[in-house]
Amino acid sequence: MNAHAPGSLDSCSEGWIPDEVARLLARVTRPGRYTGGEFNLRLKPGASPRIVLSYPDVYEIGISNPGLQILYAHLNDATPAAAERAYCPWPDMAALMRAHAVPLWTLETMKPVAGCDLWGFTLPHELTFTNVLEMLDLAGVPFHAAERGEGHPIVLGGGPAVANPWPLAPFFDAFFIGEVEHRLDEIVKALAAPSRALRLQALLSVPGMWLPGVSERPAQRQVFMAFSSTAPVLRPVVPVLEAVHDRAIVEVMRGCTSGCRFCQAGMWYRPVRERPVDLAVEAAEQLLSETGCDEVSLLSLSSCDYSGVEEALTRIRALRPGVRVSLPSLRIDSAAESLERFAADQRGSVTLAPEAGTQELRDAINKGVDDAQFEEAVRATFAGGFTGLKLYFMIGLPGETDADVAGIARMAGTAARLAKDVARGRARLSVAVSSYVPKAHTPFQFESFAGASVLRHRQRLLREAMPRHVRISFHDVAASLVEATLARGGPGSDRLVEEAWRRGARFDGWSEHFRFALWEDAATATGIELGTADLRSDQTLPWESAVAAGVTRSFLSEERARGARGELTDDCRDGLCASCGVCGAGVEMDVLP
Amino acid sequence: MTWWLLTFSRAAAASYLSHLDTARAMQRTFARAGVPIALSQGMRPKPRLSLPLPLPVGASGCEELAVVEVPDDLPDPAAALRELRAAAPPGLRPLAIIVVGDQHPRPRVLEARYACVLEGDAGAVRAAVERYATEVSVVRERVSPKGRRTLDLKEYVVHAAAEPVPGGTRLSFAIRPRDDGAARPQEFIDLIAGWAEVEPVMRRLERRRVTWRDLPPGPSPGAGRSMSS
Ligand code: SF4
Repeated sequence: MNAHAPGSLDSCSEGWIPDEVARLLARVTRPGRYTGGEFNLRLKPGASPRIVLSYPDVYEIGISNPGLQILYAHLNDATPAAAERAYCPWPDMAALMRAHAVPLWTLETMKPVAGCDLWGFTLPHELTFTNVLEMLDLAGVPFHAAERGEGHPIVLGGGPAVANPWPLAPFFDAFFIGEVEHRLDEIVKALAAPSRALRLQALLSVPGMWLPGVSERPAQRQVFMAFSSTAPVLRPVVPVLEAVHDRAIVEVMRGCTSGCRFCQAGMWYRPVRERPVDLAVEAAEQLLSETGCDEVSLLSLSSCDYSGVEEALTRIRALRPGVRVSLPSLRIDSAAESLERFAADQRGSVTLAPEAGTQELRDAINKGVDDAQFEEAVRATFAGGFTGLKLYFMIGLPGETDADVAGIARMAGTAARLAKDVARGRARLSVAVSSYVPKAHTPFQFESFAGASVLRHRQRLLREAMPRHVRISFHDVAASLVEATLARGGPGSDRLVEEAWRRGARFDGWSEHFRFALWEDAATATGIELGTADLRSDQTLPWESAVAAGVTRSFLSEERARGARGELTDDCRDGLCASCGVCGAGVEMDVLP
Repeated sequence: MTWWLLTFSRAAAASYLSHLDTARAMQRTFARAGVPIALSQGMRPKPRLSLPLPLPVGASGCEELAVVEVPDDLPDPAAALRELRAAAPPGLRPLAIIVVGDQHPRPRVLEARYACVLEGDAGAVRAAVERYATEVSVVRERVSPKGRRTLDLKEYVVHAAAEPVPGGTRLSFAIRPRDDGAARPQEFIDLIAGWAEVEPVMRRLERRRVTWRDLPPGPSPGAGRSMSS
């Protein structure tokens, strides 16, 4: 690249971005979103098959997704395939791409996405679904799998939102259900078949694949049982743009069996598997060099439950002077102790998630935290010198009453009092309240969504009851209504997504872009009512015909009944197996001795 | 502590980084290479690395300059340069390290040479460049968050030339900053594009050479006093 002699007036630059793309880049916000050039980017010229990995949100969000990093590293480093990436263009870029007829390109080669063999989407949640259509459209790939032919990529969906694939079913050729690490080689091999039909047929035989309209049985969710004997991603792509989080990520544990009845991730990623501390520490050491970060985050759904947490923290901190280690979440019942032992490196603020405002409701959701534990955790936060405390709650939980909502204000009042007494007003307190959306494969899958009017009423109650000076934020009820409709949608719910997209819905997870009126119009046009799916527990639920999540319906029903009775279910890693149905046939809990 | 001048090129994907992101990418390159940067004093210590002449977003740079303070006990600059090259992201390439000593260098720009490609009527672009040569004064208004100011481009932009290339006209020019600031490349490109009635899209913009003064000690990086391989 540098034939340029010092002081020369000649051009030094090679590798110009193609002119048709450069023309667009000159006119958009943050053009670096579309050009790649990150640390540890992989290039495999001439490699086959060519796979494009996408996350249907803007670059800055997508680049932080650890799931996509796993796929990218494994496909590029351990298979013959070349994996490239594309994220969802921001509306300013999308408008220019359409105006100038420039199809979606990948960050690695700047070549059109549409020319790849397989286009894999990691689907995080329902409010990204219109972005999937946006990306298909910008790439020039026909929306419906049925319309795709030999020259089109196979479009494959995965990630947590495929727990119910129906709202996207016709847009995808196939869905992969569960953890895919150990199936990637088979997927790559399937792509070698000589025709599209044969490639799809080969994919059908990969365990965990569900092909809409083709598969005769629900796909069994796949569990990566070699998790504990495999190193985490050691050479992640590190953005050159300012990142949301600038830390090296070591996934130390997968799965959580605390058994919160509202939590889809807790049911979806069972059973618990832990990586040995040695593996975590070695990974941290390499990651510090590869990323240039000075902070390591021990990632899992509940890192305080990782058996090796204390040893891993101590050893990683000792790797180099100045290395900090953070845990993404703390348990309230042990927060006081954790803050002292683990969280000394945590910068600024601490997040605690009591989720519900009264003991009864917390028992019903199996959160099992009591008021004294909460108070102790808050006191420890402020006494520990943390500058902020963020409390997470939900409203709209099954069985919730106005009294439970008043309980949230009471707990915020306790925290505000402690902020004044213990932190002497130096700490910020904020409360974030989301609206609960019942999700597939959880004990509350049989419950209905609380509805917009109930949620608005409770938000008003809470706003009025909140102590002054406590910052409170709510999820947009309308966005939750859309999320609930899609999360519980069955066959045909895709029409709502497509109609909303046609009317202009994009980036629905972004408050500045979410336009409820488009969804209302789409609902009217398709005859699909928003938020009203009434599911009966004696019926087959829509997602049960596509996905076998491992947790059995009888376990989920029993858990729902226990919740209604306010009974707690223990974490199976501490005692008795609750017979959720996940373990067996080579799948089992795999925790450190 | 010791000050280094690191020259580097910025091209391809890295051209689209903002000034801050370029500085951050450079800092991360040092961190990945295991070459420590000295930290500033104060409550929130910051790495002592700065880029004295911001490069516009979208522009390549053939020989950019970073001023960086490093601890005295570092490996020799040639070894550090090798590590930095291996650790840099695609598009950013460390070229040479000039060891300055313990005096903080504050290099100032004498002249920066640019080139870009303008699409559209090549004759019109050439005519616009010729017109620029004959004008005595070309006053333009700049509106920024700091307010409005007027500047006479003729006081800053020199050596304007147009040359046909495949797909358009290469416009080349030099900007000479003064004590009150400098014109921006886009301002001159907009002027010429406006006169020529072609699209002012900054394409293949490249800063090809920067002439510095006050680089203690000795000649500018461009004169080849370097430890490059
Ligand atoms: S089957 Fe038993 S041990 Fe396995 S995850 Fe379920 S409850 Fe835990």
